Amino acid sequence: MQPKPGHRQDAPIMEDLLQRVAETGDRKAFSEIYAHFAPRIKGFLMRGGASAEEAEDLAQDAMVKVLRKARLFDPAKASASTWIFTIARNARIDAIRRAGKPPLDPEDPALAPEEAPRADHQCELKERNQRIREAFGILPPDQMEVMRLHFYEDEPHSAIAERLGLPLGTVKSRLRLAFAKIRKEIGDLS
Amino acid sequence: MRKPVHHPKIDTLADFAAGRMDEARAVVIATHAAQCEACARAIADIEAAGGALLDAVEPVAMTPDALEKILARADETANIVLPETPARDARPEKRLPISAYLKGGVEDVKWRPVAPGLAQSVIEAQGYRSGVLRLLKIDPGTRMPRHTHKGEEVTLILRGAYEDEVGAFGVGDLADLDGGQTHSPMAVGDEPCICLIATSAPLAFKTIAGRIAQPFIGL
Repeated sequence: MQPKPGHRQDAPIMEDLLQRVAETGDRKAFSEIYAHFAPRIKGFLMRGGASAEEAEDLAQDAMVKVLRKARLFDPAKASASTWIFTIARNARIDAIRRAGKPPLDPEDPALAPEEAPRADHQCELKERNQRIREAFGILPPDQMEVMRLHFYEDEPHSAIAERLGLPLGTVKSRLRLAFAKIRKEIGDLS
Repeated sequence: MRKPVHHPKIDTLADFAAGRMDEARAVVIATHAAQCEACARAIADIEAAGGALLDAVEPVAMTPDALEKILARADETANIVLPETPARDARPEKRLPISAYLKGGVEDVKWRPVAPGLAQSVIEAQGYRSGVLRLLKIDPGTRMPRHTHKGEEVTLILRGAYEDEVGAFGVGDLADLDGGQTHSPMAVGDEPCICLIATSAPLAFKTIAGRIAQPFIGL
């Protein structure tokens, strides 16, 4: 069964729960965030080829970071799912680093891009996220497929192309079209 | 701060935002995005697409004791203080993601001359996938041999300026090149042009002078 992007009934709640975790270390609020996101992080990583065990470990790592870093969550900058996506993404990068040579400290604040001055207000951001979800709904299936693989997999695009039996250029152009459409939908394609 | 006019391609930003890029290029893209509001916003938009996908993915049940383990681990680390943000430094590259790799700023880089007017410094590889990160210093008026690129390369201007077939590049500008393009940049202005370059494959020089220089440059 295909998951349905663009619909989340509990959208505003997760942001509030995260703020409660940030302010009072509310364990009950955290367990609700956990119940929604941990199985999704695990599913996301397994779609990308991780074993159930690896995905479980990484999902746990990511949720520890969610709890520890909740104070850094800023609902004016990102929705809860976007913020948690970036944490899960970084947990995967850290795991690949650990498998290689000893890394730089991934917590080093110097590695995080400095916040550019942003004019957008929270309502604009909510609007933007809503539009991204709507744009998902109108993406043609072939573009949606490569975009999913782009996020799930960490294999090169050439491996994705081979698996789909498509030329590399087709995979890249479908991705470009998908992102262009999403960004056009939110009105600031440059 | 100067507003950059040359930016990464959308698929380069998409690779960065999805976390599927080698570390060398990721550092260069992050350093550009820290100086470029438009690209920071594009990355945030693509991350939001990742967030929407995360929400929509089919969940897979966690092991029964996972929440307990997570809470216990968070307790253990509760007393760890996050490092302070480093103090502001007037040197632009010290306030950017690349600063973690440049111990003492561009002034303290040990340059290795490779040709008249040209010096480079390879920054220690960090081992996150492949990719080479290096600094190149081009003296004003020096033109690099015409070359093309195998694989993918991103070049960010940290100091000074250069001009090539594509246009004029200044501080914060990023050249996102692939195998299809040849160029021969020339440093312009009064100060040396210092570029931060991440390469996923060696440069391929097109001229004889370039072919001779290449083994020396060690790319």
